[in-house]
Amino acid sequence: MKSAILHPGGGQRALEALRQGARIPELAIGGSVFVVLLLLAVFGDLVQTHDPVKSDLTRRFLGIGEGGHWLGTDHMGRDVWSRVVAGLQWSMACAFAANIINLLIGTALGLAAAEREGTLRNFARQVTDALQAFPSLIAAIVVVVLVGQGFVPLVLTLGLLSWPIFMRVTHAEASSLYTRDYVKAANIAGVGRVRIMLGHIVPGLRASLVSVFALHFAALLIAESALSFLGIGAPLGVPTWGNMLAESRQYVLIEPRLLLVPASAIILTVIAANLFGDGLGIHARRGRRAGDR
Amino acid sequence: MSDVFAQVRKLVVLVLVVGYALFFLLRAAGDPAYVIAGMNATPEQITAVREQYGLDQPLWRQFVVYLGGLAQLDFGVSITTGDPAMALVLDRLPHTLQLALMAMVLSVAVAIPLGAWLGARPNAPLRRAVSGVVFVLQGSPGFVLALLMIQLFAVELLWLPSVGYDAGDWRTWVLPTMSLAMFSAPSLTRVIAANVVEAMHEDYVRTARAFGASFSVILWRHALPNALLGGAALAGVQFAGLLSGSAVIESIYGWPGLGSLLLESVSTFDFPVVQAEVFVIALLVFAVNASTDLLFKRLDPRLRERS
Repeated sequence: MKSAILHPGGGQRALEALRQGARIPELAIGGSVFVVLLLLAVFGDLVQTHDPVKSDLTRRFLGIGEGGHWLGTDHMGRDVWSRVVAGLQWSMACAFAANIINLLIGTALGLAAAEREGTLRNFARQVTDALQAFPSLIAAIVVVVLVGQGFVPLVLTLGLLSWPIFMRVTHAEASSLYTRDYVKAANIAGVGRVRIMLGHIVPGLRASLVSVFALHFAALLIAESALSFLGIGAPLGVPTWGNMLAESRQYVLIEPRLLLVPASAIILTVIAANLFGDGLGIHARRGRRAGDR
Repeated sequence: MSDVFAQVRKLVVLVLVVGYALFFLLRAAGDPAYVIAGMNATPEQITAVREQYGLDQPLWRQFVVYLGGLAQLDFGVSITTGDPAMALVLDRLPHTLQLALMAMVLSVAVAIPLGAWLGARPNAPLRRAVSGVVFVLQGSPGFVLALLMIQLFAVELLWLPSVGYDAGDWRTWVLPTMSLAMFSAPSLTRVIAANVVEAMHEDYVRTARAFGASFSVILWRHALPNALLGGAALAGVQFAGLLSGSAVIESIYGWPGLGSLLLESVSTFDFPVVQAEVFVIALLVFAVNASTDLLFKRLDPRLRERS
């Protein structure tokens, strides 16, 4: 970390960061799988071999590789590979958008609560605690039904409900940063509250927030697919992993592949995001230790 | 005593927040009268519904009436069945508690020995492999694992019935319990293992070792009890996770608990039942959190001294 700070050449710095990251296996494995999945989602339209929603009842239940279908076809003759890719795009976009909303709300509230004590901020903390203690999926079920089905309602539901984790992390870390000497010195020197927050506190949060972002991404992805699976998230007919799993239940006896393919896709993505987040967390802790020395 | 007072204050905040959220969410979603009366209702029917549910009153008045009902745990009657909403919820509650309790017992029964075994020598090759499996299980969505278990045990091996609940047939309990335990057992195992690893480096373990205590005595008598304390402190979080999990698991297996009631009532927009149910769940979670909090202050002398 030191050398990267002392010689802030752009390319060299990135290279150094990569070299550091490669030494943490969680970060190397989780990060590379996650990046591949992200690229798959972004360029999904190019790798789909068929239209994911076009059904062809003459080509139902084709096996793996049959008739040019890499992962076969489902009960309506739709291409399973193209549907899995479409599901990846949906899940990634949904989890990412909700995560951004979570990050903004949670960080803002956490910073506000850490910056100054007060009755209102104390109350905000208690509300956060109450929201966090409440079973998240049950809250999401109730809210999503009220807001409606579809991409935007789903993102809003998850975005507005599951920010407490960001609030807690931000509050804890920012509170400790506010006790540091350099922050106290800036305060005495008459630096404004906003400048202290943006110049001294927020940069110190970055490493932890990036790690929480990755871990929370996995949680949001699970919540999204669970809601879709229950039939209240993504509208019926949209190719998402939750919908694919729900549809597969009628065909477990004929074609377990329809269950196993989306199940593996979810598990792979979630594990990659979890590993990535854990790795980033380890990286952040090492960076902090190096900074303390 | 100040602990109890703090918990009571938390409870008041919780009831107000949940009550407030439920009241305004329902109204933010559109005119509840339309929702209650159904898609094809005539204007007369909607007016009738409005009068029946007091929706023609000013909002603040509705809120006062609502809070009054809340204080008496009265949420009105179910729109679909006409039974009191609270009675419906209390009718389903024991089933969910039974499932959650069985899952919790199974989780603890697996997680304690497994966590102790993994934590005692975390770098042995076999244990690293098992740790990897536990990590994957912890990350995987519980409902996906449930579907995979149905496929394996019910469809391929034909050992157990796949879905359906029968109060008299324990075989219908096995897969739901195992599935729900998947929401808590892996994380509990990892916490206990991590705590055992940490405890094995503590001074009291070094001292016990210096006095010649055997490895198993050190592990089971010294390291594990301290590791368990940390694991049990998570009981509240775990319980909330189990309730979340029960919503999906109950709907997969057709288990007649709170989770499946919630899905039934949201899909028919049966708001009195939804409100009663959310309220009961909030109280349950609060009760578990508060009692573990208070209990642990008594059990763990270190927490007692600090406060």
